Amino acid sequence: MDAVRSNAASSLAPTAVLAVLVIAVSAFAPSFLSAYSLRVLAEESSAILLLATGQTLVVILGRIDLSTAAIASLVSVLVALAVPRLGAAAVPAALLLATAIGAWQGVVHVKARVPSFIVTLAGIGLWSGIALAVAKTTVPIAGRDPFLEWLGQSSWGMPHAFALALATLACFHAAMVRLRFGRELHAIGLAERVALLSGVPVGRVVVLTFAASGLCAGLAGTAMVARSGSGNPSIADSLLLPSIAAVLIGGTAITGGHGSLLRTLLGVFIVVVLRVGVAIAGLAPAFEPLAYGLLVVVAVAATIDRRSIGIVK
Amino acid sequence: MNAVAIRAEGLRKRYGDHEVLQGVTLDVQAGEVVGLVGENGAGKSTLLELLAGVARPDEGRIVVRGAPVRWRRPRDAADAGIGFMPQEPSMVPGITVAENILLGREGAGMRFGLVRWRAMNRLADEALREIDPTIAPGAQTQSLSFQQRRRVAFARALAAGTRTPEAPVLLLDEPTSALDPDGVEALLRGIERLRARASIVFVSHRLEDVLRVCDRIVVMADGRCVAERAAAATTAQELQHLMAGRTLAVEMAYGRDRSHAPGRTCLELKQLTRIPGYADVDLAVRSGEVMGLTGATASGCHELGRTLSGIDAPQRGRMSIDGRIVVLRDPAHAVAHGIAYVPADRASEGVVGALSVAENLALADRTGWRIDRRRERAVAARWIERLRIATPSASTRVSELSGGNQQKVALAKWLAGPRPRVLVLDDPLRALDVRARRDVVDAIRAAALNGSAVLVIADALEELAAICDRVAVMRDGRIREDRSTSAATRALRVPVERAA
Repeated sequence: MDAVRSNAASSLAPTAVLAVLVIAVSAFAPSFLSAYSLRVLAEESSAILLLATGQTLVVILGRIDLSTAAIASLVSVLVALAVPRLGAAAVPAALLLATAIGAWQGVVHVKARVPSFIVTLAGIGLWSGIALAVAKTTVPIAGRDPFLEWLGQSSWGMPHAFALALATLACFHAAMVRLRFGRELHAIGLAERVALLSGVPVGRVVVLTFAASGLCAGLAGTAMVARSGSGNPSIADSLLLPSIAAVLIGGTAITGGHGSLLRTLLGVFIVVVLRVGVAIAGLAPAFEPLAYGLLVVVAVAATIDRRSIGIVK
Repeated sequence: MNAVAIRAEGLRKRYGDHEVLQGVTLDVQAGEVVGLVGENGAGKSTLLELLAGVARPDEGRIVVRGAPVRWRRPRDAADAGIGFMPQEPSMVPGITVAENILLGREGAGMRFGLVRWRAMNRLADEALREIDPTIAPGAQTQSLSFQQRRRVAFARALAAGTRTPEAPVLLLDEPTSALDPDGVEALLRGIERLRARASIVFVSHRLEDVLRVCDRIVVMADGRCVAERAAAATTAQELQHLMAGRTLAVEMAYGRDRSHAPGRTCLELKQLTRIPGYADVDLAVRSGEVMGLTGATASGCHELGRTLSGIDAPQRGRMSIDGRIVVLRDPAHAVAHGIAYVPADRASEGVVGALSVAENLALADRTGWRIDRRRERAVAARWIERLRIATPSASTRVSELSGGNQQKVALAKWLAGPRPRVLVLDDPLRALDVRARRDVVDAIRAAALNGSAVLVIADALEELAAICDRVAVMRDGRIREDRSTSAATRALRVPVERAA
C-alpha cells in the first residue's frame, strides 16, 4: 500500500534493535552465529512466527486475538489424539476446526457487538478448558503421520516448520498487498466508519480475519506437536505474550491500520533472539520479560497514530 | 456605560490551508447582546472558540475590559469571567448537575481537593435560578432531558461568567438549535433576563430569535465580518441576503444548464418514518434530476440522508429504487443497490486520511478480487484532472490535502466506479472556497447528466439554488414544501449586496 508505508525512521528502528541485539549476544557468546544455534533459533521461531502472523492481521484490523495460544494448545492435543484414528486426515481436520473456532469468535464479536478483547479472552478459558478436558496431561502421538514427521525434520539446516511459517507469512503478505481484501482490512483499521460507508462488508472482513488468525494458531499447534512428538493442553500458553509483543515491536500499531507482516517478521526475530540470547549469554532469566516490557512500550510509543486518535487511553 | 467588555482585534486562524478567520475585529460593549449570523463555515464558531480560549489565534489579539489577554486554555477565559456554551455541549453523564456546572472550576465548591457539596450546590443553584429553577443542582445529569441539559450548559456558561466581580461575558454558540419551541422560549427568556447585566454574543441560524433578543447584529461570511446592523433597523430578509450574497454571486457567474430532461422516477420514498428524525416522508427523485433537501438543524433532512445510506433503518414506510422495493440492511447493502452516500463529516466518514488519493478512489469500487495498481493510477489521474483535485500526486495521502480537495475525493470515489443509481450528498459545499464549490457543483451536475438520481442535502436554501432542479424544505421531520428551484429562489433573487 503506497500510503500505508510508514516513514523510514519507524521501519529502521526495529532493524536497528535487531542488529544491536545480535551484535550484543554474539559478543557475549561468539558461538551464537554458528549453524547449530541459528537452527535452534529458527526452530524456536516457528510457532511464535505463525501465531504472530495471524495476530498481525487482527491488529491491523484494529482488534486483538488473545485466544491464539489456547487454540494452538487445543490443536496440539487434538492432533495427538486423532492421528491413531484418522491418520493423515488428522492434521487437516484439526486445522479446519481451528479456522472455524477463529471464524466463530469473529461472528460473536460482530453480531453480538462484544469487543474482540472480551470474546477472545473468553476464548482462552473456553479452548484451554476443552483441551484440558480431553487430555489431562501430555499426549504422545501413538501412530505415524508422514506430514508431522516431515514437519519435525530439517533440510540443509532449515527446519521444515520454520519454512512452513515463512511460507504462511509470505502467502498472507501477498494477500494483504495484492487482494482487495488486504486494502479493505487496512481501511477498516484506519477508519472503520469510512470503510463501512464506502460499501466495504466490514463484518465479513472481520470474520475472515479472525478465521485466518485461527488457521495460523492451528498451524502453530501442529508445528509444536511435530517438534515435541506430543500434544499438551498448555503447550503454547507461554507464547501468547511474546507473539503479541513481536507484532508491536515490529512496528504494527496497536491502534490499527498501520503495519505489515514484514515488520512482524523482524519483531519475531527480535523476540526470539532475546529469548535464546538471554539463555546463551547466561543472563538471569528475569532479563527476558524485562526486556520485552521495555521494548513493547518503546515500540508502541513510536508507532501509535496520535494524529487520528487524539486522546490516548 | 459604554465600556468595551470584550474585543477581538484582527483575529486570524488557519486550519490546514483553509483560513477560517481572515482578520476579524469585533467589539462587544458592556451590557450589550450582539447577534452573530452567517452561513456554515463563515467562521462564527471559530471566533467564539478563540474568545473562549478553546483554540489560540494565529494572529491578532483579544482585549478583555481594556486589558489584552492571551488564553492558554479554556480555564483561563473562565477565570476572567467569560462563559462559553459550545455548539454541542457535552456533559459528563454519571455526576450531578452541580458538578457539571462547576467542572474544572469548582472555586469555593472545593477546598484542598475535597468536594464541599453544600457550597457546590449553592454556587450551581445561583446560576440555575437565572435559567431554569426547576432543575435541582443535586440531580443526576443523565436523568435530565436533552432540553434540560442544554439549559444546564447555559447555566455552566453563566457560572463561569459570574466568577469575577465584573459583569459576565457570555459566548453562546447556537444555544437554541435542536430545542423544541418551549426550550427556545426558555432560553431566549434567560438571555433577556441577563440583558444589561451581562455582555452576550449570540450565534444562531434562527434569524427571528436573533432579531428578538439582540441589540446589534453582525454578519460574517468567509471568515470576515461583512456587515453590521442595529437589530431594530433590519429584517430577517435583509440578513438572509447579506449572508447569502456570495453564494448567489457564484451561481450567477457559473450559470446553469437546465436543458436536459430528467428520466423516469428512480428513488421513491413513501411514508418513510424514523422517530426521532423524520416522519411520513414522501419523495421522488428521477434519474438525471438533482433534488435539493433543506431544513434547519433537527429538521430531519440529515437523518433522512443517513437512512438512505443504510446506516439507520426506517421504522415505517418503504423505499424503492427503479420501481423495486428495497430494504437496506447496512451501508454495504445500500452500495450494492447502487446508492452512493457522501457524508457531511468528510474527515471521519468520507475519506481514509492515511490512504492515498488513488486508494481512496478505489475503495468504493467492488469489482474483482485483485488490486490492479496500474488501473487505479489511471483512474486516479483521470479524476484528479476532471475534478481539479489539488494534490502533488495520486499517491499522496488524503490527509495532506485541504478540506475542499478531500471533499472532491469523497465524491470522486463514487463517480470513479460504476455509475451510482442514486447519489446522496450531505452538505457537499460546506466550508468550500469559491473555486472548489464550482468544481463540486460541476461534478454533481455531471453525475445527473450521466443518469444518476441526485439528492443534495444542505442547511441553506441559497446553496441549493445553484445546483438543484427542485427543492424540498423540511421542518420538524416533515416535508413542508416541494417546488421547482426557480420558484423557490425567486424570492431570493436580489442584487448581490456586500458591505465590507
